[in-house]
This record gives sequence, structure tokens and C-alpha cells, in this order.
Amino acid sequence: MDPLSQLSFILWGVPTTLAISILSFLSGLALGIPLAFIRVYMGKPFQVMVDLYEKILRGVPEIVMMLLLYFGVGLALGLKPFDEAFFAVTFALGLRSGANQSQIFRGAIRGVGESQMIAARSLGLPTSQAIIHVMIPQTFIIATPGLGSEYALLIKDSAYAFILGVLETMKRTDILRMTTFDTVFPYFASAFIYILLTFPLATYLDMWGSRKRKELGL
Amino acid sequence: MADTVMECRNLWKIYEKITAVKDVSLEIKEGEIKLLFGPSGSGKSTLARCLALLTTPTKGDVFHRGECLTRPGVNLNKARARIGFVFQHIWLFHHLTALGNVELGLRRVLKLPKKEARERATKALREVKMEEWANHYPAQLSGGQQQRVGIARALAMDPYIIILDEPTSALDPELIGEVTDTLRALAKKGTTMFIISHEMQFAREVADEMIFFNQGMIVEEGPPERFFTKPSSDRAKRFMERLIKRTTKE
Repeated sequence: MDPLSQLSFILWGVPTTLAISILSFLSGLALGIPLAFIRVYMGKPFQVMVDLYEKILRGVPEIVMMLLLYFGVGLALGLKPFDEAFFAVTFALGLRSGANQSQIFRGAIRGVGESQMIAARSLGLPTSQAIIHVMIPQTFIIATPGLGSEYALLIKDSAYAFILGVLETMKRTDILRMTTFDTVFPYFASAFIYILLTFPLATYLDMWGSRKRKELGL
Repeated sequence: MADTVMECRNLWKIYEKITAVKDVSLEIKEGEIKLLFGPSGSGKSTLARCLALLTTPTKGDVFHRGECLTRPGVNLNKARARIGFVFQHIWLFHHLTALGNVELGLRRVLKLPKKEARERATKALREVKMEEWANHYPAQLSGGQQQRVGIARALAMDPYIIILDEPTSALDPELIGEVTDTLRALAKKGTTMFIISHEMQFAREVADEMIFFNQGMIVEEGPPERFFTKPSSDRAKRFMERLIKRTTKE
């Protein structure tokens, strides 16, 4: 196999890598935003619950979560769709990302400051509306650089999926090693691909967020 | 006899360690302008926020147009929509343009259709002479311009009273004039206002009554002329002297 076809063999795994990362990122977002606002604006029992969630999901190695969801929940308990390795992996990463993004957004809410909430309430906006129209748009701007790093983290962690046989970038790299007996090129190639997938977007989001913050005086 | 627009009776605000407002009663009639002044830390802002229902008083009642708003079960959001509030540190929404800032309450609280909200917001910006800056973000405006947008944001909601918490004290001296001029124009139109301010020249011109506030209590109240000629309390006298000295030095 010439290097070019080797590279293209690995590249066929990129869509799956992206699918795992993007889906888990979006589930993390859907979990993280509500958790952050619950943590900041609701009472003590909710704070404790969110903290507990964060501690557990950030404390357990992601590979343990994935195996638990796939073998334990999916295969042993027969719960669909976790009997599919792809979904088990994506969901496990999504849960962990929810914990991370909750922290990112909580920091951003602090950055926006209580004053914006008071100003919104002075107009008669109910808390929920103030959160939607005043707080969330601004927390997104402050959170952008953090969300960029989180996305890069998910791209990298999606590589764990190869252990469960999901045919993504890492798995294809491994197959290549086994079939060509070349233990150098496939790894360099996939390292290069992972850098291309993480670095430009994360850097761009970091720059965009910082610029926007400066522009808006946030 | 003009109607009472806002009133508080025996109002207290007690925090864990300090009592910010002690047994304050006052009322403001339609078209009236009352100006509150006093040393920093005397509880002026807390009083203003209690009157605007942004803070819940510990004891006592607040009435707006005869309706008691400190009873349980009152829809505070509905009440706040008709009480204008202008903040010392302005607190415009950073992510919205001047127009967006003024429109938000019209769209989301009063639920006006887009076109009507835009017209009303534009009119409010025109009133504070900020119409041509409508599409600028707060960070692109000077402090004085930002505060005028802050006033427009309150004004657009068609409030029956505007409460202003030191609207000029966070501004550079050369920017104060444009804000006090805006307020003068509102005063001329008969806008009911409760203003916390230490701009004494401005106070003398617009206020129907001045209230000297110290340590959470009303020390003295009366027409501005009395404060400028012979305040009856010693504390007010000394405070006035210092303020006037500072103003003439500038």
C-alpha cells in the first residue's frame, strides 16, 4: 500500500470521529447550560446535586463510562441504543462533556455578572426570560474559548471508541498497522489528522471569543 | 390635588450586619420630582431598589398608584415593567445595540409587535438625542451616551415614574452635562422622577423637593431653596457646604 492510499484509508474514519465528537459536544451543551443556570440560580439542594454530578462524571475515567454503558447497560441490560458501541461511546462522552460545559458556563455566568440580571429584571422580565434573552447570549460569547478546548478534547477522546470496535480514525489506524506491519507511518498520519481536526477550530474559537469580548466590553 | 404615584410607609431593609433603611416613609405625586442626597453608604441605593421592588424590604409597605406591592402574591414583573429604573453604573445589555437595549422590554415584556416596538424605541432614543447612535453597541458609546440610552430604555416602557440611582456619578465630569440636560428636558415635560444625585445646580433647578438622607433615615426634607440657604439640621448643613465647595472648585 502506498502512503497515499494508507492515508485515505485512515481518512475514511474521520466522518465517524466527527460524528462522535459533534454529537457528544451537543449533548454536553444541552446538559451543561441548564446545569450551570440551575447551579447558579436555584437553591442549595440543586447546587449539591449539580456538584455531585460534575464530581462523578469528571472523576470517572471516560473509558470506564464507555465500557459500563456498552457492556453493562447496553449488552447486559439490553437497553437500546447502548448495545451499539457508537452510541455508548457518544453518550458517555456527552455525559462527561455536560459536566465540563456546566463548569465552563458557570464561569461565564459569573463573568457576565449579576448586574445584567438586575437590569433585565428592572424592565419586568421574568427570570427565565432574562436568562434566555440577556444571560445566555452573553455567556456564549465568554464561554467560546472554553467551548473550543472542550471540542478539541472530545475529538481526542473519541479515539477511545476504537477499543469497542467503532470504525473511526483510531480504529482504522490500528487496522492499518495490523495489515501493513508498519508501526510508524499510520500513527504519524493519524496524529497529523487529529491535529488538523482540533487545532484550527479551537484556535479560531479562542480568537473569535476574545475579539468579541473586547468589542462588546464584556 | 395630584394623585400619589409612589409611596412607602415605615420601610425597613435589614441585612445580616447592617440596617440600610430605617423606618422611611415618603410619597411622590404625579409630575413631582424628588431628589434624594446624602453621604455614600447611607442606604440611598437600597432605598431606591426597595421602591422599585428590585429588593424586597424587610418591613413596611411600598405602594404604586395606590396598589400595595409588598403584599404576597403581587405580580412583581408586571409592576416593574411600569417603573423606570436608571442605574448608577448604567448596566446596558452588552450584547445588544442601543436600539436593541430599548426594544428588549417592549418586545419581551410588553409583547409589542416588531414594528411597533421599533417605532417606540426609536422615539425614546430620539427623546434622549441618541437616535443616530441606534445601531451602536454600548462599548462603542461614551459613558454619557450610554446613560442616555439607559434613560431611553426606561422611558420607552412608558413608566409612571422613573427612579434614577446616581445617574451621573460614574461619569467623567465633562459627560455629566449631557445627562443632566436630558433629565431637565424630561422634567420640563412633567415626568415624575425620584432622583438620587449630588449635582446640586441641577437639583436646585429641577427638584420640587429635596431629601437629605443619612444612616438609613430621612434627616430633613423640603424645597431646594431651603437647603441652599438655611438647612435646619446640622448634618445637612455640613454636607451641603462640602458639596457646594466641591462644585465651585470644579
